[in-house]
Amino acid sequence: MSHSPTLAPQPSPAAAFLRFVRAYGQETAVLVALLVIVVAVSLINPNYLGPTNINNIVAGNAYVAVAAIGMTMIILLGHIDVAVGALIGVLASIAGTLAVNGYPIWIAWLVPILVGVCVEAIIGVLVAYARIPAIVVTLGIVSILKGGLITVTQGVWISNLPPDFLIAQFRLFGIPSPVYFMVGLTIAAGLWMRYAPFGRAIYAVGGNVEAARTVGIRPERLTVGVFALHGMFAGIAAVLFGTQLQVIQSTVPNNLELTIITASVIGGVSIVGGRGTVFGSTLAAIFFSAVSSALVFLNISAYWLRAVLGLLILATVLADAMRRRQFH
Amino acid sequence: MKTLLSIAAGLALMAGTAHAEDVWTGGDSQPTSPLACDGAAPAVTAVPYNGAAVKGAADLKGKPISIVDVPKLIGIGYFNATAKGVAEGAKDLGSVTAKTDGPTKANIDDQITLIDNYITSGVNGIVFAANDPEAIAPVLKKALSKGIHVVGYDSDATPDAREWFVNQASFNGVAKALMDNLASQIGEDGSFAIVTSTFTTPVQARWIAEMTAYTAKCHPKMQWLETVEAQEDNILSFNQANTLMNKYGDKLKGIIGMTSVATPAAAEAVKQTNQCGKIAVTGLALPNSMKPYVNSGCVNGVVLWSPADLGYAAVQVMRAAIDGTLKPGDTSVKAGKLGELKIVNGSVVLLGDPVTFTKANINNFDF
Repeated sequence: MSHSPTLAPQPSPAAAFLRFVRAYGQETAVLVALLVIVVAVSLINPNYLGPTNINNIVAGNAYVAVAAIGMTMIILLGHIDVAVGALIGVLASIAGTLAVNGYPIWIAWLVPILVGVCVEAIIGVLVAYARIPAIVVTLGIVSILKGGLITVTQGVWISNLPPDFLIAQFRLFGIPSPVYFMVGLTIAAGLWMRYAPFGRAIYAVGGNVEAARTVGIRPERLTVGVFALHGMFAGIAAVLFGTQLQVIQSTVPNNLELTIITASVIGGVSIVGGRGTVFGSTLAAIFFSAVSSALVFLNISAYWLRAVLGLLILATVLADAMRRRQFH
Repeated sequence: MKTLLSIAAGLALMAGTAHAEDVWTGGDSQPTSPLACDGAAPAVTAVPYNGAAVKGAADLKGKPISIVDVPKLIGIGYFNATAKGVAEGAKDLGSVTAKTDGPTKANIDDQITLIDNYITSGVNGIVFAANDPEAIAPVLKKALSKGIHVVGYDSDATPDAREWFVNQASFNGVAKALMDNLASQIGEDGSFAIVTSTFTTPVQARWIAEMTAYTAKCHPKMQWLETVEAQEDNILSFNQANTLMNKYGDKLKGIIGMTSVATPAAAEAVKQTNQCGKIAVTGLALPNSMKPYVNSGCVNGVVLWSPADLGYAAVQVMRAAIDGTLKPGDTSVKAGKLGELKIVNGSVVLLGDPVTFTKANINNFDF
């Protein structure tokens, strides 16, 4: 099926390892960092490895990981979406409003996903055909979503959600449902981007638009399609986000878009497009909640989380820049 | 490799600070004044009037007046409730036309512009909840100099920029209500943790400092495990509460939420891990968000004042100040259905003790 890179005649294990690290260097780094944190903190306090805490760590940021799948695709194309945090807030409020007004549960789950697809598709059209930079479009969208949400809801929390609606609280074999969503969607999206023509085209366009055009890819169509897909992931993330508790705050979650973009970037997506995988962004999302939990176990102010993440972004972008220099 | 190195450096940095902090309560370092354990009223020392004077105000005694209410922001449950109280207070008085108008986010610049516009358009009085005590002062002084009466509520300005301030509940009163409520559930030797907004939020830091002082005085054997920050984010509050339970296991007997977001999130964490009755949750919260937990018995009670009464009192104080029935040196003021309210610290009108919302009364409140 795929054209794997030409293999060395007799690859030694060391060479194979090097090749793997070169291809998945950032993913490996995040995984190692995650393991280091888990081992270090559990040596200080074994409760960190308790089954409920592991569950909380893996499930706690699952909605971030799901949204970061779409964000990874957007960044791969060389675009950005700073409206996704506000969009998730709005979509969660839509889901909650439908659920408390007696609509069938599946409608309350499905409508936010469809609305997410529509909103992002419009953003995609503005970016691809009207040629407005994505950062400008999405900054405009943020204001519309924030203002619209506060006007419509008056800031009143949505409560009395029907228990059947709270999908993020469902469990199967003791594992919370968001974990299944996160793992399933990451694997599906990862394989699709590796093997399906449409998925591979994302890398082609992100790497070099003109080259992609010459091999018959239509970058504009692809861009709209990828934004729409990103909207679907945002919708699923919103449903997981909104059903985690008994109430929906009906405000825009603070800095959520930054957390999502950070997950993508620390997961190894090159900020100028063309490189990176969704496995990295999902690992990074789990890594964040592991750090966040570790801060409580170590009695450290949550402010350090921001500082540590900031450091990691700088290091990642630096590493990316150096890789580029090496290859050009 | 570079990434790994920087991660390692970050971790080393974190581990370094880990030992620097012992039990960090999250309180501020200002002096505290814990109340008596049995609730005896503290001795009141008379303080001379320290509010501002309005210049050249027309004599509007008993005449119809129009006032504007400028909260920190509009569109959140809390200030919706104060606005309702303002409207009700105006309606009870009959002679007051009140309007609520505020910024859509808690932004001091927007708030100043808005107040300035109302000074220009001409109102008889301004009631406000300040986004910043210092920054709002000049525009309020401008209002006073143009004969407009100024009364604060919820969040004060510097005293020289307003005539009276209606205080929702004293810091030490809230501290006592919270700690007594928790102690009655987890016992005098129970261990507890706190979920707050951030360590630098002045109001929360003040409450926590008073709680530390009151705990040392009246519940000396209770163990304060730690305070964690969760901003005002409900998912983060939920995750932090879960992490606290995982960290301390059976040792943790109670969680106090210091924000209206943290308290229901902590209750949800306790409920989802089936620890209702095992871990007590209390804190500051809006009754609507706590009804499911209080009515199901998972949470015994939460504490707040009535924001509607707060808005109501602000309008009553405004009317009394304009009519001259409330003058510098007074020790109490009549406030309609709320009765006589005490005046302390020169120019602060006290709304009263905080309200504890329990199964018995929570359904009577809707905010």
